Amino acid sequence: MQHTLDAILTSARAEFAADVPLPSRAEFEAAKARYVGPNGQLTAQMKKMGSVPKEERPALGKLINQTKLDVQQLLDAALARIEAGELRASLGPPIDPTLPAPDIGPGSYHPLSAVREELSRILRKVGFTVADGPEVETEYYCFDALNTPADHPARDTQDTFYLPSSVRFANVPKKTEHEHYLLRTHTSSVQIRTMLKGQPPIRIVSPGRVYRRDTTDATHSANFQQLECLYVDKNVTIADLKALLDYLFESLLGKDTKTRFRPHYFSYTEPSFEVDLSARHLPKVNKEWIEIGGCGMVDPAVFADVGYDPEVWSGYAFGMGIERLAMLLYGIDDIRYFYQNDLRFLRQFA
Amino acid sequence: MKISLNWIKDYLPALDASPEEISRAITFLGFEVEAVLHSGAPALENVVVGKILTREKHPNADKLSVCTVDVGEAHGGVRTIVCGAPNCDAGRHVLAALPGAVLPGDFKIKSSKIRGQVSDGMLCSTDELGIGTDSEGILLLSGEPALGTAANDVLPAGDVVFDVEITPNRPDCQSHLGLARELAAWFKLPLVYPQSRFRGLAEDAPERRDLLAAVQVDTPVECPLYSAHIISGVKVGPSPDWLQARLSAVGLRPINNIVDVTNYVLLEYGQPLHAFDAARLGGDARVSPGGQRLHIRHAQAGETLTTLDGKARALEPPTLVIAGAETPLAVAGIMGGEASGVSDATSDLVLECAIFKRQTIRRTSKRLGLSSDSSYRYERGVDPHMALEAARRAIGLILETAGGEVVGPVFQVGGEVPWQREVVVTHDYICEKLGFDIPAEAMRAAFESLELRITREEPTEARGPAWTLAIPSWRQDLDRPIDLVEEVLRVYGTDKIPATPLTSPGLLAEDDPTVRFNRRVTDFLVGHDFNECASYTLRSGEELSTWVSQTAAAELALANPFVADQSHLRPTLLLGLLEALHLNQSRGTPVQRLCEVGRVFIESNGQTHECASVGFLIAEDTTTRHWLKREAADFYTAKHLVAALANAAGIDFARQPVEPTSGDFLGWQDGHAARAGDLEKLGWKARFGLLDLALVKSLGIEGKVYAGTFSILPEKLADAQTRRRFAPFSLYPATLRDLALVVPAALPAEDLRKQLQKTARAVVGNAFAVESVALFDVYRGESLGDAQKSLAFSLVFRAEDRTLTDDEVNAAFQKIQDELLASTGYALRK
Repeated sequence: MQHTLDAILTSARAEFAADVPLPSRAEFEAAKARYVGPNGQLTAQMKKMGSVPKEERPALGKLINQTKLDVQQLLDAALARIEAGELRASLGPPIDPTLPAPDIGPGSYHPLSAVREELSRILRKVGFTVADGPEVETEYYCFDALNTPADHPARDTQDTFYLPSSVRFANVPKKTEHEHYLLRTHTSSVQIRTMLKGQPPIRIVSPGRVYRRDTTDATHSANFQQLECLYVDKNVTIADLKALLDYLFESLLGKDTKTRFRPHYFSYTEPSFEVDLSARHLPKVNKEWIEIGGCGMVDPAVFADVGYDPEVWSGYAFGMGIERLAMLLYGIDDIRYFYQNDLRFLRQFA
Repeated sequence: MKISLNWIKDYLPALDASPEEISRAITFLGFEVEAVLHSGAPALENVVVGKILTREKHPNADKLSVCTVDVGEAHGGVRTIVCGAPNCDAGRHVLAALPGAVLPGDFKIKSSKIRGQVSDGMLCSTDELGIGTDSEGILLLSGEPALGTAANDVLPAGDVVFDVEITPNRPDCQSHLGLARELAAWFKLPLVYPQSRFRGLAEDAPERRDLLAAVQVDTPVECPLYSAHIISGVKVGPSPDWLQARLSAVGLRPINNIVDVTNYVLLEYGQPLHAFDAARLGGDARVSPGGQRLHIRHAQAGETLTTLDGKARALEPPTLVIAGAETPLAVAGIMGGEASGVSDATSDLVLECAIFKRQTIRRTSKRLGLSSDSSYRYERGVDPHMALEAARRAIGLILETAGGEVVGPVFQVGGEVPWQREVVVTHDYICEKLGFDIPAEAMRAAFESLELRITREEPTEARGPAWTLAIPSWRQDLDRPIDLVEEVLRVYGTDKIPATPLTSPGLLAEDDPTVRFNRRVTDFLVGHDFNECASYTLRSGEELSTWVSQTAAAELALANPFVADQSHLRPTLLLGLLEALHLNQSRGTPVQRLCEVGRVFIESNGQTHECASVGFLIAEDTTTRHWLKREAADFYTAKHLVAALANAAGIDFARQPVEPTSGDFLGWQDGHAARAGDLEKLGWKARFGLLDLALVKSLGIEGKVYAGTFSILPEKLADAQTRRRFAPFSLYPATLRDLALVVPAALPAEDLRKQLQKTARAVVGNAFAVESVALFDVYRGESLGDAQKSLAFSLVFRAEDRTLTDDEVNAAFQKIQDELLASTGYALRK
């Protein structure tokens, strides 16, 4: 028996040696059956144990087991090599990592969205959250509530798009029955809606599309985007407003940026200022001061209109055009690029 | 408004600031300076009249001459000056810039050697003097002005004109006097008011009721003041030079002395005036004595008037007019009539000085499409308390420039209410609003410099005093303490607002739900290789009727579009995206995935809804070649993306019914597009699939375009999201069974899937769970014919508490098959 077992082991070693070509998986399974299968050679030897004298059994049993372990080890090693070979075969030849990916992309954010979101993030850090409102507005929210009465020159129809009086908007509530729908000329209407909805303190930023009845040229567009801030609290001061704008523009354009206030007039703020930026460190900026927006302290009349006590509450508001800022930021010289959507433009800001 | 510096100096003789300083002052007082225009010669020091005595060729340069020039004893007599001009001939009188002179452009003149030859100054061209553009030759003076005379004494006087935008709250600054008052405050200079030679009707002045017998005002609310003075015996002719120069400097054409004076006073005081020819008021004194009158009334229907601009205008009530005995002579406050105006033949005139209600003028001006310097000021508000002073000023100037005398009677209707307004403000209130301190003394000085007279000053319990300020009549914009904060700050200087630390309190709210939705879907689409676009909200009506519907074209029109191709609100983002696609294709830029996020306006059953919307399109790229092929996008790509957009809005899209599109949007390809949602019932709607091949092609776009839109009412996004609860799941293995059925080709797969799921759940009951029923194969083939297809579903069974046995699952599955086949009549696919 000893010889037979030795022969089996020798045969197995020869069959699965490392320098012998690997069998296929089917061949392997057949070979495995030949050794350890129910009708295999080792199985046959074990069956013979019964006919071996009792005293020889322990030694022989040990021998058979040892042979079986050795064969199994050979089989396991062979299987591992077969599996590794199969995995390698499933890979195919090595890739060329320098080939271009055949997929389109990458996607890109529109530069106006990018600037709008950046401004929102900067303002969020100092307590402002984003408010939103309808682009179709009524005369009350766009003008009356902002201290701009019906005979005010700012309400000239030549500057404002109106909708026919027959149109009914299901989800833009009117304040009074006979007022007209229009396309908002500023996002200040969102401030009014926000103030009417809640109580101070309020700190919101309202970005969004606004509309002016104007010729489209390099610096004008029938619709453009504005961003306005409103802060209502106790003891809000002009110095606070200046501090916010200094922070905002330094965050966006760098520490070398300066702002200045020029007195101005807006019907909904008192005092009112225009804001100029000095950012000579930006490329293509060839003017010392660039007008960037308007601001002021909320007029007490506006507070009275939304039911806030002007004796208790004070606040400031600030607004600017996002296109104008984006043009400055990126050095873009024509506002129309924003609305043409040439991919060669869009992808520059991805 | 154009402001002449020379004119301003009439009221501010001590003003010696440079044009740059004045421009800055105007800017920081709160008015935008749009342009600064220089005319005439600038101030030229050390530039004097000289006479060229000799001219010789420069020994070392062909084109230069060496001249001896006598510039007068006071300036050192004869000097040698090198000149490059061809016309520096001996004997000519010229202007010599002497060492120390600074010519425009900061060009400093010094003694120097030019090619070895000393030059002790420079002979000047008009270009170098800043009065012209001739740089070829030097300026040759006519006549023989005294040698050494300063250049400014022989050159036309210079002026600086500031084009200033006056804000609507400051009608008082629509005048030279008004702006001078502001500059007086800024530069802390005394303001000198103009003095009129006419102070009132002489006691012995004759009464000339034949020229004007009565003034009648029917509408005192719309015309609270009307005054008329009669000036007899004027001689109409050209204005004196100074007056013509003043008007020309600010862009007005001189007409005649009478009209020029009324224009001058308009620009000086901001008070519109009008002169009528007394002989042409329409009443015939011979026929009806006392017939000459002015009647301020509403126009009657059918009346017409030819205004000074030569246009015949149809008048209608309630246009306010100044009428004569019978017919209108002028549109009140806007423009006079051609017939009653002053002409060379005029010898007697009636000078109107009136106040009209702002709204009246604005309304009429808009209705007639007619505006003038006069209406512009009336619309913004004219100080009624300065009106009569302006009239006296004008009369004085008329007497000075056109002669004549003021005769009686003087008419004045209204205007009796005296002006009085006081505002109380405290030092502490102003500091509180500013957020920093300004000394009380500086505030006092600011008030006084603006002619806000302090009528009382009282100490308060706080730090600073309380002031009672008398508000002058021209500052009707000052009414509340807050208004005075601005006045103090303007004069104190906004550049002195200190830098303070920014207080940054915590957040009070979360960003608006619509904003968060927009952000989420933009991030999603950009993350899926879409290029975000922005297109105009306004589209053309034609486009809407082609792509959307006739109803949309009718309901989304603006009342007053500006240009024809931007006349309608957009009902979908796809139109802009298609335009972008076409632009890129036509420019040869390969483009596939475009998206936009923004507001759209959707008409539905007679009502319009403003919706938050997101749209995308995927175009077939017919140009780019790739070394490795990718599977092209199809309908289900669009469906998958729309589902994600809906999910971002909190909608479980998988549970929403999806149907083939019907005709609410013409742009979809029949049979290859679908719809989900319902704007009115659910507050949202989605459309997706293939865009109409022919329409897309008609735009010049190549290849197929798949697209999707998802629109939702913003208020729907604002709905509070319900918090999800955890659902326990089984840890035992699932058992799968597949089932394939042969069904009619047109049957929607989802209908059968639902039925199968319902049947399975009914059969299994509570014994265990039918976890899912999912379609995994659709087969069409010859063996089934065109009218049939096979749908294959995979059913997943699982129990909560045990491993299911094959027997119990087989029994249930068999029953499910039997019941389904029985109820539908479909066959199993073998």
